[in-house]
Amino acid sequence: MTMRIGRRLLGGAVAAAAALGFAGIAAAQEKKIKIGVIYDLTGPLAGGGSELQYIGAKIMIDSFIKAGGVEGYKIEAVYADAQSKPDVAINEAVRLVEQEKVDMLLGFYSSAQCVPVAGRVEQLKEFMWITTCISSAVLDGKNYKYVFRPQASGDQFGLMTMDFIDKNIAKFGKAAKDLRVAIIHEDGAYGVDVSKGNDAGAKKAGFNVVLKEGYSATAPDLSALVTKLKRARPDVIFHTGYNPDITLLLRQAREQGLKFGALVGHGAGYGVYEKLKEGLGADVNYFFNTDPISIWLTNDKTLDAKLPPVIKMIGEEFDKVKPGVAIRSAHVGMAASNTYLFFTAVLPVAIKKYGGVDPDALRKAALDLDIKEGGTMLGFGVKFPAEGSQMAGQNERSFPVVIQYVDDKSYVVWPKSQAMREAVLPLPKGTTYSNQ
Amino acid sequence: MGSFLEIFDIYLLEAMVNGILLGGVLALLALGLNLIFGVIDVTWICYAELVMIGMYGMYYLVQYYGLSYYLAAPLTILLVAALGALLHWLVIAPLLGAPPINQLLATGGVLFVLQSFATVAFGIDFRNLGIRLPVLQFADMHFSYSRLLSFGAALVGMVVIYLFMTRTYTGTAIRAIAQDRQIMALMGVDTKKIYLVTSALGGALAGLAACLLVLQYDVHPFVGLSFGPITFLICVLGGLGNFVGGFVAAFLFAEIISLGGLFSDLEWGYVLAFAFFIVMMFIRPGGLLARRQ
Repeated sequence: MTMRIGRRLLGGAVAAAAALGFAGIAAAQEKKIKIGVIYDLTGPLAGGGSELQYIGAKIMIDSFIKAGGVEGYKIEAVYADAQSKPDVAINEAVRLVEQEKVDMLLGFYSSAQCVPVAGRVEQLKEFMWITTCISSAVLDGKNYKYVFRPQASGDQFGLMTMDFIDKNIAKFGKAAKDLRVAIIHEDGAYGVDVSKGNDAGAKKAGFNVVLKEGYSATAPDLSALVTKLKRARPDVIFHTGYNPDITLLLRQAREQGLKFGALVGHGAGYGVYEKLKEGLGADVNYFFNTDPISIWLTNDKTLDAKLPPVIKMIGEEFDKVKPGVAIRSAHVGMAASNTYLFFTAVLPVAIKKYGGVDPDALRKAALDLDIKEGGTMLGFGVKFPAEGSQMAGQNERSFPVVIQYVDDKSYVVWPKSQAMREAVLPLPKGTTYSNQ
Repeated sequence: MGSFLEIFDIYLLEAMVNGILLGGVLALLALGLNLIFGVIDVTWICYAELVMIGMYGMYYLVQYYGLSYYLAAPLTILLVAALGALLHWLVIAPLLGAPPINQLLATGGVLFVLQSFATVAFGIDFRNLGIRLPVLQFADMHFSYSRLLSFGAALVGMVVIYLFMTRTYTGTAIRAIAQDRQIMALMGVDTKKIYLVTSALGGALAGLAACLLVLQYDVHPFVGLSFGPITFLICVLGGLGNFVGGFVAAFLFAEIISLGGLFSDLEWGYVLAFAFFIVMMFIRPGGLLARRQ
């Protein structure tokens, strides 16, 4: 009897040990990082550029999944749709963290979503890697420990475009104080932040700001704003908007006979050339846009040698998803580059140096980053300021560039170091909006 | 005095005219919604989404099937009219005896169904008809032909609806049912048929609005969000079911938006318009030209 019990106990112990052993082996075999990816796949922001960002991030995630993961960790992505609504973005972020048990969050197109989501994710002490949204309000003075953004911030966009016009002012034949500029923007976190940069840049350059105004991106009519612009007679309009508010404004501007010398956009809707062209036709010729450089416009010679083949792969994959696109949007490359940066520079360090993929390991690995200019597909380097800094979590080496659309092609025109050609300024005579 | 003259410039006149033209767009949208409420006593919360489907109809007929705008427009109006009748048959008719909140929620549900359907069927891209109408120039003022067309269509639509309601047998039956739903059935009027005709007519007006809005706006699954709430407010401000009230309210609302936006920030134009709405709801809860209580 005793022997029988002993045999049973022994059998049970062996079975338990075997089970535990198998579980241990299985756990060792199934090392993985689960990533929650959030973009807007429906709602107005989806067509305004968010879907393109999603495509860029997915191309990169799929390529790393296909390659078998990173440093022995498999990659699993859980995608969520923020539906162009901040409340949905927050709920989805929390759902991914608490129910799907993701190890980190990646993505986010809209600044209006980024600001509250970043706060919530920080409370949860989870790691957040922002690929897109640019508002300074996401990070300025917040001293977040787990939120990181390799992307340039909104005020940098606004400052950059003012600097560009300032350095090209001779083409207008005017002194800075005589150059009439209008700053108009959608009234969300993104538009307001860029306009602050515009404002500071205009003051620095000594421009005459004749109009500064925000509007709701869903307003059904912008004719009163166009009338005010007509009255203000700006030489240069600095505009920050999504779509379709950009096409509505410019269509009403054409119908109401608004004239100006240059129009400078700041990403989002201005980054989706196909839609601008469809809505505005040839009027889009000679418009400017500010964004991180399109990965397809970077100079291969200035980049790390391992990057051009990756850029080529992203282009080929994108063409499979959206064939026949005249100008591949910078949005795609932006998300792809920032996702690639995470997989190649943050994740391996977290695993090898800090022992895993928990939020603290990822945070420490992000803070270790020290990439020189040319080290990313977007041309800029990466360095996050130390914890406790005013802009903790913001890449201090990022910068946007100014591009100009000319005859269905886009050219970098500013800064000088990246410029592919001279900017055409002001709008040539005979074009719809030209004030010549 | 000097500052008054400073603002009383040609741009003020342009803003006033643009306000009137915007009023035309809003009046056109309010016309169909008022017709439905006036007769069936049901508010189609999803009305702007019917307009969105009509805009897609125009886009595909013109851009993909190569039809001319003038051929595509009547087809679109018929399509949305059929959709209006279908909406009544499938959703409204079974709920006619239900409490108003149930009807409201049901049409609210249709709103989300149509938005989701459009997202799945047509994608999230913004579509543009690609037709650019000329611009009317007068002195230093410029006006959009597409807005003038909407304004004209709103006026003509208003007159045609008025004549239809007062000069035809069906119109008279519709008005009679609007006055007393129960008694007309007892007098031999086929109320089901009248409701169906009214719904189709409301749909046709949504289709007409779609044909004109597609000249001014990009089409996307959520375009209705820009117009739906404001159209509903205008109908309430004018007195739900009151055509003339809706017409007046549309122009008042549009002028406040346009002039408020000119003298202050554009956002303030909308704030003033909505504040005006709230104040009027206190003063005249039944609407500006209310008949119904």
